[in-house]
Amino acid sequence: MSQSMSLPGEPVPVRVLSPGKVAVNLLLILCALFFLSPMIWLLVASVDTQASQQLEWPTLTLHQFEIAFNRNNMRALGNSLMLSIVATCVATIPSSIAAYSFSRHKIPGKNGILLSILFLSGVPISILIIPIYQIFQWADCLSLIPTAVFLGVTAMPFEIYVIKNAIDAIPLDLEEAARIEQASIVRILVRVIAPLCLPGIMAAAIYGFINTWGNFLPPLVLITDTVQQPSPVAIFGFMTADVVNYGAIAAYSLVYSTPVIILYIVMARLFRGGFVLGGAVK
Amino acid sequence: MVSSHSDILKGRRIDGRRFDSASLAFLSPAGLLLFLLFLGPVVYSFYLGFTNLQLIGPHSTNFWFTGSVNLKSMFRNEEFYHSLYITMIFVVGSGAIGSTIGGLVLALLMQAGAPVFRGIVGAAAMLSCILPPVTVAVMWHASTSAGGVFPFLLGLPHVEFLYNYPMTVVSVANIWWLCGLSMLMFSAALRNISHEMIEAALLERASAYQRFIRIILPSLRPTIVTSALLMCLLSFGNFTLIFLMTGGGPANATNILPLYSYVQGFTFHRLGFGALLGNVIILLSAILGSLFVLIGYLSTRRATSVKKAGE
Repeated sequence: MSQSMSLPGEPVPVRVLSPGKVAVNLLLILCALFFLSPMIWLLVASVDTQASQQLEWPTLTLHQFEIAFNRNNMRALGNSLMLSIVATCVATIPSSIAAYSFSRHKIPGKNGILLSILFLSGVPISILIIPIYQIFQWADCLSLIPTAVFLGVTAMPFEIYVIKNAIDAIPLDLEEAARIEQASIVRILVRVIAPLCLPGIMAAAIYGFINTWGNFLPPLVLITDTVQQPSPVAIFGFMTADVVNYGAIAAYSLVYSTPVIILYIVMARLFRGGFVLGGAVK
Repeated sequence: MVSSHSDILKGRRIDGRRFDSASLAFLSPAGLLLFLLFLGPVVYSFYLGFTNLQLIGPHSTNFWFTGSVNLKSMFRNEEFYHSLYITMIFVVGSGAIGSTIGGLVLALLMQAGAPVFRGIVGAAAMLSCILPPVTVAVMWHASTSAGGVFPFLLGLPHVEFLYNYPMTVVSVANIWWLCGLSMLMFSAALRNISHEMIEAALLERASAYQRFIRIILPSLRPTIVTSALLMCLLSFGNFTLIFLMTGGGPANATNILPLYSYVQGFTFHRLGFGALLGNVIILLSAILGSLFVLIGYLSTRRATSVKKAGE
C-alpha cells in the first residue's frame, strides 16, 4: 500500500498496478459517470429531433435551438440579463464602500456585526418572499426593477464579506503613504484601494450576477407581468406545459447556463491571480 | 486595524477605540438597503406569522393580529410534523451528512487516483455545482423519469424513479449539486496536511486505515464542520430543485418546509400561516447554525488542549 501513495515532493514512484489502485480508479470512473450522465443527456437532447427523457443516439437537428431562440424566449433571457445587471450594481457598489469601512475603520461591535452579516448570507431566501411580496404589493411595485433591487440586497452580505477580505489583503502602508502625501479619502479610495482590490470586487460582482441569474422563486412571485419574467420562469413554463418538449427545454437550458459557466471560469481566474500584493511593500 | 502611524500624526490617543464618524457615511447605503429589504422583512415576517393575512379576499388588505390562532393550527396539523421530519432528512441527511461525506470521498479518491480520472471527475463535479438550480432540476427530472439515464444505467429502464422514490431522488440530486463544493474544500484541506506526519506514520508501518483515522480525519475536523454547516444552509435554500422536480408531491412526499410555506401562502392564499412556517425555517436554521458553530468551537478547543498536553 505504501507504494501506491505518492507524496508530493518525492520522486515519482514506480507504477505498480495494485488491486487498491485499480479499485480507486474504477470508483472514480463510476463517479464521473454519476456526474456526467445527466449533462450528456442535456447535450444530446438539445440536438436531437425526437428528444425524450431517454438517452438515444440523436438524429441531428438545430431545430431545438431555433425554438430556444424564438422571440419570447429571447425576451426572457433579456429580462434575466436586465435583472442580473441591476442587481449586481445595487449590491456591489454599496457593498464595496461598506467593506472598506469594515476593513479599515474602528467600529464598535465590529466582530458581532460581521458575524451577523455572515449569518444573513446563509438565511434561505424563500422565507423573505411573503413579507417582501406584502411590502411590494403595498408599495404597488410588483415588477422587474424592484425585484432586481431585492435580489441584489440578498447577495449583499456575502459580497461585503468577500470584498472585505480583498481589502484586508492590501498592505496598510500603501494607504499611509498616500495619506502622508495629503491625498483625500476619495482619492485614496479611487486611486489606491479600488485598483488593488478590483479582483475581489469583480469576484463579488460575478457572485451577485450568478446569484440573481439562477434565482427562480422571487421573480415568479414578485413580477406580475408575464412579459417581464426571466428565463428560469420560462423554463418552468416549458416543464409544466401539456406536451413537454424535452429537446427545446434542453437547448434553452443549455443557452441559459452558458453565461454562468463562462463567468465562473473568469471568477476562478480572478481568485487564483488576485490577491498577491507582496511585492508592493518592501 | 488602523496602524498607529496616522493616529500619532493626528495627535490621537493610540490605546482607545474610537468611532470614526466617516464610517457612518460609508456604512449607511449598505446598511439602509439591508435593513429595508432584508432585516426589516425578517422582522415583519415574524409579525405576519401571527396575523390572519390572506392573499386575496377581505383579509388581504384588512388583516390583524390574531395571537396564537396560526400557531395552534400549525401544531394541530399533521402535515406540519411530516414536513418538519422530511425537512430534517433533506437538510441534515442529504445536505450536512450526504454532501459532506460525498465531497470527502471524492477528494480522497481523487488524491489516490490516476491523473486522467482525477481531472475528469474534478471538472465534472465542479461543473455540476456551478450550474443554475433550474438546469439541475431539468436534467434530474429527465434523467430519473422512466427510460431516463439513471434507470437505464441501473438496469431498471421502466421504473419511474422520480415517482416511486421521490425523496431519495431529490436527496441524491441535492448531493449531486452540492458535493463539488465540499470536494473543493476537502481537496484544499488535504493538501494542507503535513507530509511529515504521514511520512512518520509510513515509517512506523501504519496501515492506510490507521493513517486515515489517526491523522487525516482529525486534521480535517474543522473542514468537516464548516462543510456540514454550509451544505446544511445551502440545502435549506434549495427550494427550486424540489419545486421543479416534484412540486412537493407525490402526495406531499417531498413537501419540505420552504415548499410547504410557499404552497400555503400562494396556492391556498394563507399568507399569514405561510409566514409562520417561514419563521419556523429561520428558527431551525438558526438552531442548526449555532449547533454547528458550537461543535466546531468545542472540537477545536479539544484539539488545541490535546496539542498543549502533548507539548
